[in-house]
Amino acid sequence: MFDMTKKMTLVGTVTTFEWTNPHSYIEIDVPDEQGAIKHWSIEMGSPSILQQSGWKFSSLKKGDKTTLIISPLKNGKPGGFLNTATLPDGRVLGNGPGQNPQ
Amino acid sequence: MKTILFCSIALLQLAPIALQAQSSANPPDLTGVWGVYRGGRGADPKLAPPPPSPLVLKPEYAKPYEARRALEAESNKRGEQLATTGAQCIPYGVPTMMSVAIYPVEFIQTPKQVTIISEAFSEVRRVYMGVPQAKLEDVAPGYYGRSVGRWDGDTLVVDTIGLKPSIGGYRGMPHSPEMRITERIRLVAPDYLHDQITIDDPVVLEKPVTYTLAYKRMPNYEMVEFVCDNNREYVDEKGVVRLQVHDK
Repeated sequence: MFDMTKKMTLVGTVTTFEWTNPHSYIEIDVPDEQGAIKHWSIEMGSPSILQQSGWKFSSLKKGDKTTLIISPLKNGKPGGFLNTATLPDGRVLGNGPGQNPQ
Repeated sequence: MKTILFCSIALLQLAPIALQAQSSANPPDLTGVWGVYRGGRGADPKLAPPPPSPLVLKPEYAKPYEARRALEAESNKRGEQLATTGAQCIPYGVPTMMSVAIYPVEFIQTPKQVTIISEAFSEVRRVYMGVPQAKLEDVAPGYYGRSVGRWDGDTLVVDTIGLKPSIGGYRGMPHSPEMRITERIRLVAPDYLHDQITIDDPVVLEKPVTYTLAYKRMPNYEMVEFVCDNNREYVDEKGVVRLQVHDK
């Protein structure tokens, strides 16, 4: 589903942070060089997995500026799998120490 | 002399029973949260799980099983995950729920019941202690079946029947309604637990298969809730898992 061999950087504004199962999601608006906004859905691990690498339900909120490194979807749609996120306080968090439930 | 000899033999015969009874009356307390322990380099071999026995299916089941495994491997190579029940938010059931990724399991032990909760999907097993197992025909096939337990010295022995064939088995093996699972659960060290799982299925398996899961105690860990209410992954017409993105 995701191309784990590729890494790309998204710099944008969080629209929602969903602390949910079976996966958490960061919804983010990313402007391109011309200023046009493209929306991305970024999949993460589950809350249990994420908290083991320092995440909390409140780590991100609507309006936060963040930089995400992701592996994109193979089908070219605007989605990806999180590698790391830079939080507004400067901390860089990963996507949990293990795998997802599937 | 004869009397003394007889008494000595009688005592020798009774001794193991007495020891067992004493031990079973004061079983170890398994209550607590347990995380997956895989051992790894430098780990004490007594704490790491021993290797599993071979999985040998009857020929009529082995062929389709191998074909499915090959298809999965091929699909994974392409980076496409074939649909699994887990990807569809369907719980795993017994025995898979005992080891899902790195999710912990919690044991709550009372004299009459041992309750086991897996964090992934919040699955719950109830092991009824010291009661007879039901007849297979009286157990409605389900995800957890019916489990009864007893103490064999320091080992909790759990017998489970009544698992529905549609739920995934060990390493994706097929199974029939006649599958029976015997678990021997014991502390191998104060904070390390082993669950030796033996699966017998006279319909599907040539011989029972045994594997062991190892856990390490997670003191003070509070289990995280897991309600699968935001599943954005779906299965396409080719049986491949896809992600639904929120386009604007």
